[in-house]
Amino acid sequence: MNSHPIKNSLGIFPKSWSEEYAGRIPGNIPIWVGILSELTEFGIFFAAYFIAKFYYPDTFAQGPQSLHTSLGVTNTIVLLSSSYFMAKAMAFIRVDNKIKCERYLWFALSCGVLYLIIKTWEFHWNTLQGFSANTNEFFTVYYYMTFNHFIHVGWASCAILWVIFRLRRGAYSSTEHSGLEALAVYWHMIDLMWILIFPLLYVLR
Amino acid sequence: MKHSIKLEYYLAALIVITLLNTFLGEKFSSTTLVSILIAMTVTYKGFVVIDHFMELKGANKNLRFLMRLYFIIFPSLIIVSAFY
Repeated sequence: MNSHPIKNSLGIFPKSWSEEYAGRIPGNIPIWVGILSELTEFGIFFAAYFIAKFYYPDTFAQGPQSLHTSLGVTNTIVLLSSSYFMAKAMAFIRVDNKIKCERYLWFALSCGVLYLIIKTWEFHWNTLQGFSANTNEFFTVYYYMTFNHFIHVGWASCAILWVIFRLRRGAYSSTEHSGLEALAVYWHMIDLMWILIFPLLYVLR
Repeated sequence: MKHSIKLEYYLAALIVITLLNTFLGEKFSSTTLVSILIAMTVTYKGFVVIDHFMELKGANKNLRFLMRLYFIIFPSLIIVSAFY
């Protein structure tokens, strides 16, 4: 493990943070730096939401009623399913079943693409109803959060394609699959952010 | 195989909770109780994904702590916002 270039300690963290003491790091350290950065970014969005809701309670109470709730629910189920497919892909690479691993990666990718299609339709539907980022404070926060999340799903879907390509080239096996696992934890992080976004924008009045 | 069946169980639970949350939001005006219920279910959903899909249960305890803390802080703010 110590010979792994990515997992080598930089000697700047407390010993209690090492894998030896704290436990295995799924994926690799760089992806977790990325994930924690993304969590900070979304954390700022959520803080902006709560501050705006404090100043404009009526706007935020009416906002969710203007949205297409069914599309939001469908996208939530699509993303939860994609996380499940990704977890299954990980389970199959661990037993060296690359065919089933690839199949579940395609399922996860399909969910990602379906999410993007549904979200694009939702943005179009909003436009037809006359809503835009300038409509009111709720819609400013709505577009700020959801479009950013949309971009994350977009590039993570491209990353799934890359991982499928690498899997086909024999880059992953039951003993070495840290690249695949790094994508999996990143994908779950995107799902986690939607788990928070959905009730804030579509459910709570 | 047992782990795989568990994944199916957790996916079903997550979908049911999502539908329940939507029902609560649609049928009841956001009372404090509804907001607390939704916040608690969001925390539960987050914990399930972190522990069982992301597989942080049994992995690095610091990363698991940070991820779970995130799903305590923001759902707590949902409860706080119910008192605005």
